[in-house]
Amino acid sequence: MIGLLRKHRFFRSHPLRASYDAVVIGGGAHGMATAYYLAKDHGMKNVAVVEQSYIGAGASGRNTTIIRSNYLTPEGTRFYEASVQLYKTLSQDLNFNMLFSQHGHLTLAHSDRSVNTMMERAEVNRLLGVDSRVIFPDEIKELEPMLDVSDHPTFPILAALYHPPGGIIRHDAVVWGYAKEADRLGVEIHPYTQVTGITRQNGRVTGIETNRGRISAGTVISCTSGWSTLVGRLAGIEVPITTHILQACVTEPVKPLLRKIIVSGTLHIYISQSDRGEFVMGSEIEPYSGYSNRGTFRFIEDLAMHMVELLPMLGRARILRQWTGLCDVSPDYAPIMGLTEADGFLIDAGWGTYGFKASPIVGKTMAELGATGRTPDLIAPFRLSRFYENELVSERGAAAVSH
Amino acid sequence: MNRLAERRGELIDRGRTVTFTWRGKTVEGLAGDSVASALYADGVRVFSRSFKYHRPRGLLCCSGQCPNCLVQVDGDPAVRACMTPIEEGMRVEHINAWPSLERDALHALASATPAFGMQVGFYYKTFMRPRWAWKYYEKFLRSAAGLGKLDPQHRRDRRYEKVHRHVDVLVIGGGESGLEAAIAAAREGRDTALVEEGLALGGRLAFTGVDAAARAAELAAAAREAGVEILQPAWAGGVYEGNLVPVYQGDTMFRFRAGEIVLATGLIEQPLVFAGNDLPGVMLASGVRRLVNQFRIATGDEAVVLTVDDLGIEAACDLAEAGVTVSAVVDTREGETDERLGVCGIEHLRGFRPVEARGRGHVSSVVVARGGERRSLSTDLVVMSGGTVAQFGALVQAGGSVHYDAARRVYVPDHVPAGVRVAGEPAGTAAEVPACADGGRGKQFVCYCEDVTTKDVNLSVKEGFASLELSKRYTTVTMGPCQGKMCHRNSGLVIARELGVDPDEQRVGVTTARPPHNPTSFSLLAGRGYEPVKRTSVHHWHADRGGKMLWAGDWKRPYDYGAPDDETAAVHESLGLIDVSTLGKLIVRGPDAAAFLERVYPNRYGDMKLARVRYGIVCGDDGSILDDGTVARLSETEFYVTTTSSGAGGMEQWFTWWNAVWGMDCQIVNVTSAIAAFNLAGPNARTALAGLTDFDLENEAFPYLGAGHAEVAGVPCLLLRIGFVGELGYEIHCPAAAGEHLWEALMAAGEGFSVKPFGLEPQRVLRLEKMHVIVGQDTNAESQPLEAGMPWIVKLDKENDWIGRYSIEWYQNRGNRTSLVGFEGGNGAVPKEGAQVVVNGEPVGRVTSSRFSRRLGKAIGIAWVPADLSAEGTPITLSDPSGATIPASVTLRAFYDPDQERLRS
Repeated sequence: MIGLLRKHRFFRSHPLRASYDAVVIGGGAHGMATAYYLAKDHGMKNVAVVEQSYIGAGASGRNTTIIRSNYLTPEGTRFYEASVQLYKTLSQDLNFNMLFSQHGHLTLAHSDRSVNTMMERAEVNRLLGVDSRVIFPDEIKELEPMLDVSDHPTFPILAALYHPPGGIIRHDAVVWGYAKEADRLGVEIHPYTQVTGITRQNGRVTGIETNRGRISAGTVISCTSGWSTLVGRLAGIEVPITTHILQACVTEPVKPLLRKIIVSGTLHIYISQSDRGEFVMGSEIEPYSGYSNRGTFRFIEDLAMHMVELLPMLGRARILRQWTGLCDVSPDYAPIMGLTEADGFLIDAGWGTYGFKASPIVGKTMAELGATGRTPDLIAPFRLSRFYENELVSERGAAAVSH
Repeated sequence: MNRLAERRGELIDRGRTVTFTWRGKTVEGLAGDSVASALYADGVRVFSRSFKYHRPRGLLCCSGQCPNCLVQVDGDPAVRACMTPIEEGMRVEHINAWPSLERDALHALASATPAFGMQVGFYYKTFMRPRWAWKYYEKFLRSAAGLGKLDPQHRRDRRYEKVHRHVDVLVIGGGESGLEAAIAAAREGRDTALVEEGLALGGRLAFTGVDAAARAAELAAAAREAGVEILQPAWAGGVYEGNLVPVYQGDTMFRFRAGEIVLATGLIEQPLVFAGNDLPGVMLASGVRRLVNQFRIATGDEAVVLTVDDLGIEAACDLAEAGVTVSAVVDTREGETDERLGVCGIEHLRGFRPVEARGRGHVSSVVVARGGERRSLSTDLVVMSGGTVAQFGALVQAGGSVHYDAARRVYVPDHVPAGVRVAGEPAGTAAEVPACADGGRGKQFVCYCEDVTTKDVNLSVKEGFASLELSKRYTTVTMGPCQGKMCHRNSGLVIARELGVDPDEQRVGVTTARPPHNPTSFSLLAGRGYEPVKRTSVHHWHADRGGKMLWAGDWKRPYDYGAPDDETAAVHESLGLIDVSTLGKLIVRGPDAAAFLERVYPNRYGDMKLARVRYGIVCGDDGSILDDGTVARLSETEFYVTTTSSGAGGMEQWFTWWNAVWGMDCQIVNVTSAIAAFNLAGPNARTALAGLTDFDLENEAFPYLGAGHAEVAGVPCLLLRIGFVGELGYEIHCPAAAGEHLWEALMAAGEGFSVKPFGLEPQRVLRLEKMHVIVGQDTNAESQPLEAGMPWIVKLDKENDWIGRYSIEWYQNRGNRTSLVGFEGGNGAVPKEGAQVVVNGEPVGRVTSSRFSRRLGKAIGIAWVPADLSAEGTPITLSDPSGATIPASVTLRAFYDPDQERLRS
């Protein structure tokens, strides 16, 4: 309660200066975390974060807030597990309650082939010390009584991958928590500052141009999700990414009764109930690429149809609003992180539908790279050059099914 | 019954009473009443408790815009009482109050908490330490959260319908402008539909007096006469791409596609912000006028009207006419007493602004001020007229845009997209609205849904959430059930004032109005919910004989018929029959057909002899295996291609795409559903089939990998002598219409050989014994043929280029890193599919297929292993999800019939 009496300003505004040691493009969870760890872990405090809109306006404020580490590949599992570990104490570390609740995460299997994929994920996870296992309808029913585990649905539930540490968090609070602490450490946050150009001299990136003026910087780190290809192009870097919209929606608040996060890859849906009582739901990315932020009607129709099959009690709940966000999808459904051909220009992109849950570890590793110039082992597999070396990371099995 | 004298424009039928229950007590209303009006007439003043502070709330807008009258009706958790007509026997309950609506525990708690206790964002600043305690804090927060209750036992019902409609013009909004637009369009001969959400047509005309009601009736009659299709009460859910507008009426969703959309969505009256502005008895002027004029209820004994415009004055006149004493009209505008008020003898306090409404549980007085002069007026009804804003949501969803014009103090459209028109008063009324009232005690609500006060919004700005979008996310203002209809303007004004900027600044501006227009139930959106399923021509035969029908891609296939081991044994020992109609089937025909296949596949087809079959895989540009199947050459220019069951659509697209890209002279026809296919397999397959056909089946005439047209049981068929299961077998393709006949004929012919139908599961065992790979199970999106144990299929010496060649050559030079190999279990245990190959506890590979083979008496499987573990006989360690460690050894030759003797017999 003491915290309530303390009156302080979480973020201050600053005039834009002509030079910084490092500039982070993108004021979302990734950008803020990167700036925070630059200041906190590496003592780099002369850092600016530039954001074209308000902070957290992009994917950080549009995702469905799920945190988990039950990935398919050892690389993916280790990476996200490191992220979950950071998330666990983030509220205390940043002194900002992000309402992280590890209620558990159920990925449903409706075909024997997906049962096999679950088995594989469970086993990879188990070997790497991540808590997840395959459970069957009786136990599913016990964990989540709302689910219809009978053979009535068109796609009956055969099994589920149960991941107890999976949880949800208040997504905006992650951005704000990092921003607040970064601000306290001296990082300048510049909202409504749009990057219009990236300057290069002899191949090296030397700064950026914005609608508010020119900035020179030793290091420029792009953390811009949907806009990565456009920002990359400003620096003369081609990133093999297509941008798609992902849609989500939320219901009116009702008294909480859903305990777990439920995901069904076959039905292309996932759902959780927030502490406010709203059901937060989403689907797959749209197959076409584009930057239109216009939601489709087909999305809520199909979603509703599949939801009432799994969770018949939802029939009378009401969808309150739907929205879209932009997703950067790389050819192997794994992120692109690290150095580029342009010295001084680092990229953090290709986060598809799985970027938010990686925010802390992205910040930590990108900051380490930005400050030391050395690529941490954890993100080495995700380097941009892997597409030229044909060293892809196969994460399709776990990541193509959004959450 | 407490009603005013009968008058034109009323919605109630005084001759017909309807009874329903409110919290268990029987209430009598009149036909035509809304749930809200019937309850109000019965004396109910508190309808709900608010979201956060659990404050009592009464009627506010009476037009479905605010959250105050949300009730539970027959188990439906969030029904807007003011928009729902009463029905006989309805059970209406309150929501979000415990133990009762009058005495609520959480309200008591919230009142007793120190002022800072539940300030905005309190949960971000508290409940953090100790870390383990969060789950207990959270349990408490969750117990207090939410509004209505869903019934956990609710079962899906399928009474909901979807109807597809196409019209020339769809008018959204049945007010004066909407009706006029619809009449004009219909008179031009255009097919026109009009949607009105309210309980009456005419918009504002419907509740603003006798003359207005007459005009509304006249317009409605003219619209009907002109042939306008009127949906009312019904509401438009939003405007989506391609002028798609879902319209909901009762249990039906109309998916309208309109050539042109006319937005006549009208205005929403706004509340004023002052202390106690949420007390029951504080209502919007339009809400009061609806109760008075449409339901003929005198809404109090004594009223005070607070207004910024003439709408408040009109409301005062209506009230006076209804016999309510209007003590004063408090007008923020300076000037003389309005003539209309003078006539009624109502005091017009000009230049005064509201400061505070007071009362315990219900308003009893209101304090107003002009400069330093304060006046307290006792009253049991406070009528607010805080100006209006345009309902611009539909316009924004349609791709248009609006901005706040600070000089005119209204939201105005900037851009109206093609195919959309705006009618009526799209800008709202201009009035000077005070952002908030200073000097009052108590909470000033900006947002009723989420209980957000001016203090909350101001604090958020002070803390650095210095824009409407950030403040919205921090305070949750505009994020509740009304979605900003009641609070968007006021929150913008409050933030602008705190920031010291104009409300049209970028940091304030307009937030996105997201669909749907009103909260929409899953049931309505889901409709009856048809899920397409593909069934083979023999589906019912399988199902009738105990076939366990499971999903396989878009198809349903029999997993087994109850005894998979017996089915497997039948194939090995005598005869089995499996329905493989789900295989994708493409005909590739034309002068370039062979050349086309040469480019699509890594192996050769140009040199293929007639009446022969060849196995092939299709690779992507990256060399990965996309699909596999067989290719039969039927003539010089015609090939019959099979694909995997789930790959049919994708392969058709893939072939068609490349055919177009290369501009080759061939046609690709997908005949998957038109052709049934069965595999008759087992040592007795030839003898059994010979009884049904004159075709020479002998090995010399029709050897392994032969193809031929034959008449079987009177049905023209294509026979392919191929096998997936390791025994002599014939794949018989025939027109799907004759599928069931042929199947039954084959079963009859096999009767003497104890033929058994076999399902997917026995087939998987049989193919695993042969170490045949299932694309998609044993391979994934990055598996390439060199590593997948199929280097023989890749013809890098082909003269032409083919899809994937570049990548596969690259892999060839690099060398294999992993390998798809067979393995035999060392200790009889069968690892689960998904088990990991481990080295020193690290996962380095995975088991993709595994079974116990009764025929061979051992556990067999297929796994990806690192290249250095891929030699014949290499011991490997498998880690099973059960926790067991299973030793195994690598096997590279087929487990069963490795020399193909049985297959070629």
